[in-house]
Amino acid sequence: MNFWSQFWWVIFPYLMLATFVVGHIYRYNTDQYGWTAKSSEFLEKEKLKWGSILFHYGLLLVFGGHVVGLLVPKEWIAALGISDELYHTFAMFAGGTSGLITLTGLLILLFRRVNVKRVRVTSSISDFVIAGLLLIVVGLGVYNSLTFNFLSPASSDYRETIAPWLRGLIVFRPDASLMEGVPISRQLHTLAAFGILGIWPFTRLVHVWSVPYEYLQRSYIIYRSRRKKGHTDLRKAA
Amino acid sequence: MKKEPSRLLKRLRFFKPLEKYSDGWSQLDSQDREWEKVYRNRWQHDKVVRSTHGVNCTGSCSWKIFVKDGIITWEGQQTDYPSTGPDFPEYEPRGCPRGASFSWYTYSPLRVKHPYVRGILLKFWREAKEQNADPLAAWKSIIEDEDKVRKYKSARGKGGLVRSSWEEVNEIMAASLIYTLDKYGPDRIAGFTPIPAMSMVSYAAGSRFLSLLGSPMMSFYDWYADLPPASPQIWGEQTDVPESSDWYNSGYLMMWGSNVPLTRTPDAHFMTEVRYKGTKVVAVSPDYAESVKFADSWVSLKPGSDGALAQAMTHVILKEFYMERETEYFLEYAKKYTDLPFLVTLKKKDEGFVGDRFLVASDLGLPLSNAEWKPIMMDRNNKMVSPNGTIGHRWEGKGEWNLNLANAEGEIEPLLSLLGLEDEVVSIDIPYFSDGKSEVLPRSVPVKKVTKNGEILYVTTVFDLMLANYGIDRGLPGDYPSSYDDEIPYTPAWQESLTGVNRNQVISIAREFAQNAVDTEGKSMIIMGAGINHWYNADTIYRSILNLVLLTGSQGVNGGGWAHYVGQEKVRPMEGWQTVAFARDWQMPPRLQNATSYYYFATDQWRYEELPIDQLTAATSGKPRYRHPADYNVLAARLGWLPSYPQFNRNSLNLVEEAKNSGKEVAEYIVDELKAGKMKFAIEDPDDPVNFPRILFVWRANLISSSGKGHEYFLKHFLGTSHGLLGDESSDFKTEEVVWREEAPEGKLDLMVNLDFRMSGTAMYSDIVLPAATWYEKHDLSSTDMHPFIHPLNPAITPPWEAKSDWNIFKGLARDFTEMAKTYLSEPRVDVVAAPLLHDSPDELAQPYGKIRDWSKGEVEAIPGKTMPKLVPVERDYTQVYEKFTSLGPLAEKNPIGFHGLGWSGKEEYEKLKSILGVAESGVGKGRPKIEEDRDAAEIILTLSSATNGSMAVKAWEAEEKKTGLKLRDIAEDRAAEHFTLANITAQPKKVISSPIFSGYNKGERKYSPFTTNIDKMVPFRTLTGRQQFYVDHELLLNFGEALPVYKPVLPHVPFNKVENQPASEGKEITLQYLTPHGKWNIHSTYGDNLHMLTLFRGGPHVWINKDDAAEIDADDNDWLEVYNRNGVVVAKAVVSHRIPRGMAFMYHAQDKHINVPGSKITNTRGGTHNSPTRIHLKPTHVIGGYAQLSYGFNYYGPTGNQRDLSVVVRKLKEVSWLED
Repeated sequence: MNFWSQFWWVIFPYLMLATFVVGHIYRYNTDQYGWTAKSSEFLEKEKLKWGSILFHYGLLLVFGGHVVGLLVPKEWIAALGISDELYHTFAMFAGGTSGLITLTGLLILLFRRVNVKRVRVTSSISDFVIAGLLLIVVGLGVYNSLTFNFLSPASSDYRETIAPWLRGLIVFRPDASLMEGVPISRQLHTLAAFGILGIWPFTRLVHVWSVPYEYLQRSYIIYRSRRKKGHTDLRKAA
Repeated sequence: MKKEPSRLLKRLRFFKPLEKYSDGWSQLDSQDREWEKVYRNRWQHDKVVRSTHGVNCTGSCSWKIFVKDGIITWEGQQTDYPSTGPDFPEYEPRGCPRGASFSWYTYSPLRVKHPYVRGILLKFWREAKEQNADPLAAWKSIIEDEDKVRKYKSARGKGGLVRSSWEEVNEIMAASLIYTLDKYGPDRIAGFTPIPAMSMVSYAAGSRFLSLLGSPMMSFYDWYADLPPASPQIWGEQTDVPESSDWYNSGYLMMWGSNVPLTRTPDAHFMTEVRYKGTKVVAVSPDYAESVKFADSWVSLKPGSDGALAQAMTHVILKEFYMERETEYFLEYAKKYTDLPFLVTLKKKDEGFVGDRFLVASDLGLPLSNAEWKPIMMDRNNKMVSPNGTIGHRWEGKGEWNLNLANAEGEIEPLLSLLGLEDEVVSIDIPYFSDGKSEVLPRSVPVKKVTKNGEILYVTTVFDLMLANYGIDRGLPGDYPSSYDDEIPYTPAWQESLTGVNRNQVISIAREFAQNAVDTEGKSMIIMGAGINHWYNADTIYRSILNLVLLTGSQGVNGGGWAHYVGQEKVRPMEGWQTVAFARDWQMPPRLQNATSYYYFATDQWRYEELPIDQLTAATSGKPRYRHPADYNVLAARLGWLPSYPQFNRNSLNLVEEAKNSGKEVAEYIVDELKAGKMKFAIEDPDDPVNFPRILFVWRANLISSSGKGHEYFLKHFLGTSHGLLGDESSDFKTEEVVWREEAPEGKLDLMVNLDFRMSGTAMYSDIVLPAATWYEKHDLSSTDMHPFIHPLNPAITPPWEAKSDWNIFKGLARDFTEMAKTYLSEPRVDVVAAPLLHDSPDELAQPYGKIRDWSKGEVEAIPGKTMPKLVPVERDYTQVYEKFTSLGPLAEKNPIGFHGLGWSGKEEYEKLKSILGVAESGVGKGRPKIEEDRDAAEIILTLSSATNGSMAVKAWEAEEKKTGLKLRDIAEDRAAEHFTLANITAQPKKVISSPIFSGYNKGERKYSPFTTNIDKMVPFRTLTGRQQFYVDHELLLNFGEALPVYKPVLPHVPFNKVENQPASEGKEITLQYLTPHGKWNIHSTYGDNLHMLTLFRGGPHVWINKDDAAEIDADDNDWLEVYNRNGVVVAKAVVSHRIPRGMAFMYHAQDKHINVPGSKITNTRGGTHNSPTRIHLKPTHVIGGYAQLSYGFNYYGPTGNQRDLSVVVRKLKEVSWLED
């Protein structure tokens, strides 16, 4: 176990996760008016319609796949009576399809960001960086699901390497050695994904936390109170 | 302070119970509310200051200026105008988006922040100063070096202004002033600043300084072609109009060539409100203008044909309301208040007669004083009598100047027509103008015969002449229409082919207009404006339209009459203002020049004339005196009709000395020199370098890019820089009285100085640009004709960067100039001012019968002040200019204060000013009220004016009582104790006190309407007859066939007279009429260049054309177009709209050339301004002077700078070049 292994698979991920958490707190406290998805729909609608829908729905599917593949131990799946072959075949087709959907959406969005002048000139560097990182992560992800799984499923079953490593990370028992034999494309996929976590709080991605789920459960009519702590309630004083 | 908890923590409240109500349908929000502070802070401020915008929009809306941390943050409308009274809409709301965007300028990139000088000139100056510290020698070394002069003049308008300092620019200006004074005289220096009402003190700053030098101020009202010459012709009044709230009193409202919602935005609400009372609103406009949206009827006519429409309406009213039935209200009004019963002599011509001049008392040999000036009417008992109230009565001071139908012998019952009492019916030739031809209409009138010196005079009434003129058939011989359907002038059928308006619409509107006046006793109103006033023949258009309000007894009645709105022309505190502004407290008279003549000659537009006068005069008149309009201007200068500065071809400061050497009195010497032809009026040779205007100060104005009609002529001849003029000078049409030099000079002006807060077109062409304070950074006064209030401008912040108020800029220049004068002009000099025969003064009686008598042709003796200008010596001590500038001189105390021929003492008020302002401690002004700041000047203006000081108002009405023998004092008595100060009009705008210097009064809650004093109180109009005149009898007007209202077509115009001047055709072109009405997203050239307004519409120059015209040249909306004629080229984006009828291009006035103007392919220079394709046409009838109401007054009479009778070629600009390589 060398230093670099320790760095990339223990130090770096924690650094990114820490930045992710602290960064969000910091940004929320100091930059509420910049907390935005930076919608550019006002500037261009047609390409956005396709790119955004494909990307976001694809991403939701991909996210689900990752939860199943990484957070659920292999044994639990097997216990459900799902064979490795069935699992991998399903993962390849469903994951690959979701990945392709996401990738298509992302490419449309990226093309739009670069080629539509009014979108380009209103973009910040962070918009390009985050789009670039996403392209790497999603691209490698699609590549991984479509190639490795299919050619030699046994040799690189991430459910025996990456998944336990990640679960170890979450429960603060990281084991870098689990990642050492992992093919380089998966390593890069993983590192880039952590990279995204690290810059997330400082980009438009914060909008993920602002999904207005509240609307699902709040009352229809909202009142604000003029009462403030320390102030006399005039109604009572009278 | 307690530390706020983290926002994130505040957000985490998932487990906190929610307060819910109404079965869970509502809940109490517990979210963090910190975010609201952003919006609260946005609208928090430290102070609010009352100010306004001095932009000549006529609105004069009062504004709140909000300041936060020493920064102007925004502005909002004031709402505290005093009430209009019960059952009446309020003045408030006032304001518009343009005014609301003003604060953008304060810190904008367009702001002039420092004094700038043209780089190359400054380089020459600094080099010269290095060699020789003497500033006068330095200026001399530049200005007498042809090469240097050419270099810096040709650099004008091409950037390269560099930062200087106040000290340095003052030194350059002072040196150039002293050089020019000494070499050429004070009349070679001039100032141009318009519209005092929009910021009176700032106007007065420069004009006071220049007047102390003896330098002329340029007029603006006539130059802008906003002056309707019809007004002085009919009423002897420059212009007087109702306040906008009086529209609400109207029963029938026409908007004629005036786009009220767009150009009178804060006032338009009265027009929309009166409709709810049932008032009918009619819009007369070629295009589907904003005003049309509010109208019940839309009369869409061909541009410039308005006169024909009004002539036909007049025909209908005369026929139906005077002939077919006699309307008692109208007849009474006509007899009391108009010249219709007065007698006019006829002149034999060929077989018949033509109208001539008024019959006056001297013709009858009546033993009266001023008998040549007392027109005659026919009494019911068949006797010719001289009634009270004529101009002869006005200037003899017997208290008989009133409209009571009487004279010393008793009551008079005038007759309107001689028919039935006539000695004879004679045939008369009525002048008529059809397209391209002068014709006569054979008609006839009943006449009486009068014997004078054995000669028989044939006389008839103005009313009889009117009926002949309008073809009202009374069974007399002649060519009369038998019905409205006869196409004979001036029937409704006749006008159809000229206006394109259906005859039935004309008949019904005329009928309704008159019937409403019958039913309401005169509450029929016509709002009129620039749309019809900027034509060459606007005066005849106006007189035709004004027939309608005069014949229906609507003039001088609240809710009725004309409402001519153009510039912000009403300086309410006039007497005080003119005392300060023209330094009348120190010396008289100031030099006041009519700007049209000045620019006509200075920019050499006179060399490019193509239309001889003999094509414009009447067939009833002989050959005109001259063929070239410039010759008439020389005549006017020579006969004392118009001012004419530069004055003579010699320095006026040397004349007294020269006279002394020849042993003569100075006036006698000048007359002899002129008669002998040894000395000439400068105007006789305007291209002689001796006669050039040399220095021009421009402030509160954008002369070059907004009002400079003939923009390219200004660039070529006046400024001497690159231009886009495509025409060439007339080789075969030359002047008789003006010297024609083969080579036309370029770059006459040595120094142009501009004060402004923004880099406008004028600033870019100036040699020195001075950073002026904005309207939120100085004290000043504002008033308007649209509402009766006076209110102030106040500084919200001190002027930022190196900016200063206009007052302080000129005060600083006066100080440095005076210091330098102590070295170079240390001895007092005597200047001789050649002053014109003035309106509202006894000069009005100078040249009787309205006949032209030219002393230079031996037709009359040359007598200063009678047959030629007055020649007045005035002492100039240039070492005292600063002391005089900063104190109120002795003449304010000694001379009567007044206006319009009224004068009264301001002695007590002068004393009061000493205690208000304190007194100067030393110098020539010692012991006199001192004027240190702009606010001091404002207090003087308020104190010395009858509209703002009750004691002055009472004295003014007493003076009027003495003149008229009427009881008038009560009009102002109830407000005698009021004295407006800057402080109390800052607290709230105040309604002015009624004053006899205006023609109407607004006592109590009465709304201001012009001529109500004349109508209600029987004060005469300031005309020859003392009544409103249909007939104006000056010889020159008779030459032009304009004694009575007449229809005249638009001048014939083609874009290019000579084929060789026309640029080679490149694909499709179309020729359109070129119209420049006022725009929506700008006020003149202001606001149009600020980001808010640019964002609201097209972001740069644009021209509106009809969609079918656009299709003809393959132009789409937003394509760049080249619009050009022989005067120049303007490049603008097409606005293609069905709103504009075919055949015309609307280029909204005033589009400057500093934002987004590409190059023109034709001229290869930047694509011009809206004025590039324009030029002015000088109308000879406007130069008349020395005769009753047709006497010169500053901004009162004089040629208009009309520019509308034009056409242009329009084509698509295929390749857009920004000239940036």
